[in-house]
Amino acid sequence: MSALIEIEFRLNGISRRVSVPLQMSALEMLRDMMGQHGTKYGCGEGECGACTISVDHRTVNSCLKFAVDCDGRDIQTIEGLAATPFGETLNRAMVEHGAVQCGFCTPGIMMQAQQVLTDNPDASRAQIQRGLEGNLCRCTGYRKILDAIEAAAHPSPAVD
Amino acid sequence: MAPTPREEAFADSLIGRRVPKLDAPDKASGRTRYLHDINVPGQLHAKILRATEVHARIVSIDVEAARRVPGVHAVITAADVPWQRPIGITKDHMPLKADIVRSRRDEIAAVAADTVQAAQEALRLIRVAYEPLPIVTNSAQALGPGAPLLHGEDLRVPGRNGALEVVHKACSDNVSMAYEYGHGDVSQGERESVVVVEDVFWLHYVTHCCMGVSGVIAEFDASGSLLLYSNTQVPFLHKREFAELLGIDPGRIRIIQPPIGGGFGSKLDIYPFEPIAIFLAKITRRPVKLLFTREEEFIASPTRQPVLLKLRSGCDREGRLTFRAVDTIHDNGAYTSWGATTPFVMMQTISSLYRVPHCHYRTRAVYTNNPYAGSFRGYGNLQATFAVEAHMDKLADALGMDALEFRLLNAQDPGESTPQGMHFRSCGFKECLGTAAERSDYAAKRRRNLEHWNDGNPVKRGIGMASMLHVGGGAKMYPSDGCGTIIKLDDFAKVTLITGASEIGQGSETVLALLVCEELGLPIDSVTVVNNDTAITPWDVGVHASRTTFIGGNSAIGAARKAKRKILEIAAPKAGRTPDDLDLRGGHIVLRATGERIQEIGKFLRSLHFSEKAELVMTTYYYEPPSVHLDRNYKGNVSAAYAWATQVAEVEVDTDTGIVRLLKITAAHDVGRVLNRLGIEGQIEGGIVMGQGYALSEDLLVEDGVIRNPNFRDYKLVTAPEIPEMDVSFIETMDGEGPQGAKGVGEAPAICIAAAVANAIYNATGTRIYALPFTPEKVYRALRGSNMPPKWPADAA
Amino acid sequence: MAELRNYAAPRSLAEALQVLASGPATVLAGGTDLMPQSRSARVRFASTLLNIQGVAELRGVRRRDGAVEIGALTTIATLRDDPAVRNGAPVLWQACDHFASDQIRNAATIGGNICNASPAGDTLVPLLVLDASVVLASGGAAGILERRLPLSEFLTGPGRTARRPDELLVEVHIPVPASGWVDRYVKFGTRPALDISTIALAVGGTLLDGRLENARLALGAVAPTAIRAHDAERVLAEGPLDRARIDRVVDAADATIHPISDVRASDWYRRELVHNLLRRMLTDVCPN
Repeated sequence: MSALIEIEFRLNGISRRVSVPLQMSALEMLRDMMGQHGTKYGCGEGECGACTISVDHRTVNSCLKFAVDCDGRDIQTIEGLAATPFGETLNRAMVEHGAVQCGFCTPGIMMQAQQVLTDNPDASRAQIQRGLEGNLCRCTGYRKILDAIEAAAHPSPAVD
Repeated sequence: MAPTPREEAFADSLIGRRVPKLDAPDKASGRTRYLHDINVPGQLHAKILRATEVHARIVSIDVEAARRVPGVHAVITAADVPWQRPIGITKDHMPLKADIVRSRRDEIAAVAADTVQAAQEALRLIRVAYEPLPIVTNSAQALGPGAPLLHGEDLRVPGRNGALEVVHKACSDNVSMAYEYGHGDVSQGERESVVVVEDVFWLHYVTHCCMGVSGVIAEFDASGSLLLYSNTQVPFLHKREFAELLGIDPGRIRIIQPPIGGGFGSKLDIYPFEPIAIFLAKITRRPVKLLFTREEEFIASPTRQPVLLKLRSGCDREGRLTFRAVDTIHDNGAYTSWGATTPFVMMQTISSLYRVPHCHYRTRAVYTNNPYAGSFRGYGNLQATFAVEAHMDKLADALGMDALEFRLLNAQDPGESTPQGMHFRSCGFKECLGTAAERSDYAAKRRRNLEHWNDGNPVKRGIGMASMLHVGGGAKMYPSDGCGTIIKLDDFAKVTLITGASEIGQGSETVLALLVCEELGLPIDSVTVVNNDTAITPWDVGVHASRTTFIGGNSAIGAARKAKRKILEIAAPKAGRTPDDLDLRGGHIVLRATGERIQEIGKFLRSLHFSEKAELVMTTYYYEPPSVHLDRNYKGNVSAAYAWATQVAEVEVDTDTGIVRLLKITAAHDVGRVLNRLGIEGQIEGGIVMGQGYALSEDLLVEDGVIRNPNFRDYKLVTAPEIPEMDVSFIETMDGEGPQGAKGVGEAPAICIAAAVANAIYNATGTRIYALPFTPEKVYRALRGSNMPPKWPADAA
Repeated sequence: MAELRNYAAPRSLAEALQVLASGPATVLAGGTDLMPQSRSARVRFASTLLNIQGVAELRGVRRRDGAVEIGALTTIATLRDDPAVRNGAPVLWQACDHFASDQIRNAATIGGNICNASPAGDTLVPLLVLDASVVLASGGAAGILERRLPLSEFLTGPGRTARRPDELLVEVHIPVPASGWVDRYVKFGTRPALDISTIALAVGGTLLDGRLENARLALGAVAPTAIRAHDAERVLAEGPLDRARIDRVVDAADATIHPISDVRASDWYRRELVHNLLRRMLTDVCPN
C-alpha cells in the first residue's frame, strides 16, 4: 500500500489532522474521510467543476488536487460556504431563480459563484459566464444560474 | 383600494406563479444525499471487468489471483451465477457474459471488496483470453450479405424447473426489431406531387451525460428480501423485472430512489451493473455499492438512438403536402434496449407533424458491435424532426413559397384527428408558428441573409425554423398509463403527498405540490412530498414520455379533490350550508361566493380528529388517462393530449473555420397552461441547450465499436458562455383533459433545435448538411463540398 | 504508474534541488496534468513525489533589465491578472485568458504547462513568439547551478523536454518587446476556453511602413511540439505585408507543419485552419 502522510489544514475554519495516501485526491479525502458529501465527483479530470472547493481563497477542482498538498492550507467546501451569510444569500438567489434542477452541479457552482463575485463584485453577465466555464450543468441551460448569480451580486428586495 | 376578501382569496392562486423547487435549498447547500453519498454500514464496493475486445469468444477467465487480493470478498463470472437471467426489452442480454462478448462494454467479471482500491486491484489481476470474431461496425454492414450474426443462436437459460428454456430466439438477419406503418397510398401521393425531394440523413451518437454517474446499492435482509437504492425512473416496472431476474416474489423487492443526478431517459431500462451488484450482495450477504467512473459512464451507459434515415416527401402546386415515405435503419448496438422502440415516436412525427395524406414508414433496428442505444429525452423525435423539417424548407423553396406560409398551410387545427389516430383536442400549432416567426422577425431576416451569400465576408448569418409534435398527455405504451396518489392531512393542515411519480430533477414534486395546494387552498410550504420508496408510494408507470405533470398531476388533483370534498361535506352541516356553498382558500374553509372565512382548516381538522366521530382526512386516487394502446397497425390515440412547439434558430457561421455559433433561439411552446412558471422555464431552457449540444458539439465518436472520446474533454457539452439568447413564449391552449389545462413538455424543447439550426445554416451559406452534428470540421468540409453525405446502403433495399 | 512511495515538500529551492539530486522524483506543481496522468497507466513516474508548492521563491512576476521574469510556480490566474503581462505581453495574456477554466487557471502553473510539453500547451505558442527562454536550476546545498535555454530548444517532443532529471524549471524569461511591437494570438477551439486547441497561432513583430520586422510566428497542435515557423518568418522579413506576401507566408508555414489526425480534427482540417486563420491574422496585423 501507498505511504501515508500526515497533514494538517483548516477545513471550513476548523483545524483538521489526517493521514492520507500519497495518491489520494483532495476530493476523495473530503468525501471519504471528512464527510464533505456536498463536494461531488463528476468526472475526476477537472472538466466538470462539480468538485469545486476553495483552497486559500481560490477555487480549484478538488479531483485534481493531491490531498497531501492540502497541508497547511485553508480549505472551504460547500458545507462551509453554506454556513456563511454570503452563502445564504447565494443559496436564496439560486433557489428563487430556479437555478437548481437535479442539483448535482449546484454545490460546485455555488463555490465558483462565490469566487467570481469575490474577484469582481460588479461582474457583468459575460464575466459571470466566463467565470462559470469550468462548471457543467446538464439540466438548466445555465440561464437561471446566471440570473441567480447576477441577483446575488446585486440583491434586490423582492423577486416576483 | 384594498382588495375585497374575494379578490384576496383568489390572489393566492399558485397557478402560473414562480414557485421555487422544494428541494433546492438542500441541494444548493450540499446537504442532499444522492446515491453516491449514501454509505450503508457493512457495505462492500463493487467493480466490473469489461471486455477489451469488441466481438470475441471468451476462451478462459482466470480469477484466482484476484480472489487472493486482501479485502476481496467475491469475484464472480457467469459461471458463478448459472441462474442469471437475461435483461433488456427483448431479453437478449445476459448481465455477465459467459461465452461471447459483443461490445467493448460487455461485463465479464465483477468484484466485491472492502474498498474500491482493493476491487480495482483485483480487476487488474483477472486474466481473460479471447478468440476474436469478425465485427459489425455499422448498421449497413449488419444487413449486408455474409454479415457476422450477433445473436445467431438461441439464448437458453435454466427455467424454474431447472430445464433449459429459450429466452431469446436466434436472429438470422441481425434485425432485432422491425416496424412498418402506413396510411393512404404513397404512390397516389407521388402522382399528385409537383415537387418531390428525397434525402438520406444521419443522426449521430450522443449520450445523456447525467452529472451524477450511474450507481446502485443492493442489500438483502435475513429473510432474503431485496432492498435496492436505485436511480431508476420506473421503480414499479423494475421491481417486477428484478423479481423475474432473481426468481423471487416481487413483493420481496423494495426500491428506494435517492435524489438523482440527472435522468433524461437514461434510467428507463435495467443495465447489467444492477443485477451484478445484486448477485454480489446475494453471494457475499453484505450490502454492495457500485458506482461508475465517468469513463465507465461514457462507455457503459446507453446512447441516443443513432439513425440512418431516408425521407422522400412531396407537395402539390398549392403547397399542400402530398406524401411522406421513410425508411430507417437503427443501429441497435449489441443488445436491445429502448432505443429500438423509438420508431413508436418517430412514426408519429412522420405521420402527423403537419397534415400528411399518404404516408409510409419502415424501420429496422439492427444488431452491431457498437454501444447499445437506450431512451433519451425526445425518444426518436429529434431524429425524425430533423429530416421532416429539412424537407419543409426544401419543398417550400422548390415551390418558391414562403417557408412560414408553407408550414401554416399544412399545420393542423384544434379538433383534428390524424390518419394515425392522434386526436388533437387542443392544438396551438399555428399560434406557435406565428408567435415564433413574429418574435424572431423570421421572414425579413431569412430574406436579408440570402443577400449576403456572396458578399465576400467570411462570417455569415442565418435563421431557420422547425416545429415539433410530441405526446403531452402520457403515452399508453403499456396496457395502463396510470399513476396513484395518497394524500393525508395532519391536524395542523400539513399535507403529505405520497405519489407514484418519481422526481428526476425535473421539478415534479413541486408542481404536484402546487396542484394539491391549489385544490386545498393551502400554501406550498404545507406540503411534504413522498415519492421515492416502492414500499410507501402507490403504483406508477414511470417517468417517461413527458407524462409526469399530466398523469401524476391529474392523479394528485383527484386525491386532493376527494380530500376537499370530505372536508366540505363534514364542515357544511356545522356551518348550516351545503358542501357546494363552501370552498377552501387561504388556509380556510370559506364561502365560495364571497370568500368569507368560516374556519381555519387546521382548526377544523383538529376538531375532527378529537370529535366523538373521529375521522382522518386521507384519500387515494388513481388516474388513468383516456388514451388507448396502439393497435396492431400502430394506430390509435395513444396520448390524452399533444404538445406543439416552434423554434427559430439564429446562427453565425464562420466559413473560414466552419464554426457555427448559436446566437438566439426564439421558442413558442403550446404547454396547455403554465403551472409553475419557474419550473417550466427551466425545463424549456435546459432542453434548448441540450438541443444545442445535439446540434453543434456533442459527438460520441464510435469507431470499430470503440468509443474514442469517453470524457468531457472531447465529448463537448455546452458550457455557460456558449448559450444562446433565449426568447420563450408559452401558448396556453388550456387542454380540457390536462391538470388545470396543462400538458407535458419535458421533452419538447430539445426536439427541434437541430432541425432549426440545419435550416439556419442553409440560410446563412446555401449549404445543406444532412448529417449531425454540425461540428466545425464537418461544416467546413460541407462548405468546401468535400463532405461525404450519408448514403443509403445498397444492401438495405 | 509506479507506486508513489516517498514524499518531499521542501520550503526552499536548495532543498528541492537536493531532493532531485539524490534521485529521480516526480515534480508536483499545480497538479492539474499530473493527477489525471497518475490515474491512467499511460505515464511513468518516479516513486518520490516532490511537491514544490512550498518553494515561495518560485512564485511571482518581476520586471528586470528589460525582461519580464515569471517564477515557474506562478499560476495562470496570477498571470492573467497581472498588468505587466496584460500590457507587456498581450498574446500571453490572451492565452492565459483562454486557458481551461477558472478552477484550473487557479491551480495550473506556467512551469507546469511548459514542462508538460503538450503540442497544444496553451502558453507555449505565445511564449515562442515572445522569444521566451527558460531557466533550469540544479545542485543543492553546495550551490545552485543555472542554465538558460530558449523555449524552442527546451521543447523536444510531445511530453518531452530538455530538462535533466536533476533539474527544476525555475523561471521563464521574456525579453520586453521593442516599441512598435504588435502581436496577435488565436486559439481555435469550439468553446471560449475549456478546450484543447485544435490549432493555435501567434504572430509578433515590429510594424514599420507596412512591414513586420523581426517577425516571429509560432504554431501549436500542428507538430510534435509547439513550433516557430522560421521559413515563414524569413518571408515576412523580406518585404511589405501585402497580399502576395501573405500567400507566401502561408505557404511557408504550411511547409513547416506536420499536423496529425486525432479525435479533435483531421490533419487536412488543421492545415486549412492554419491557412485561413494565419491569413486572417496577418491581414489584421497590417490591414492594407
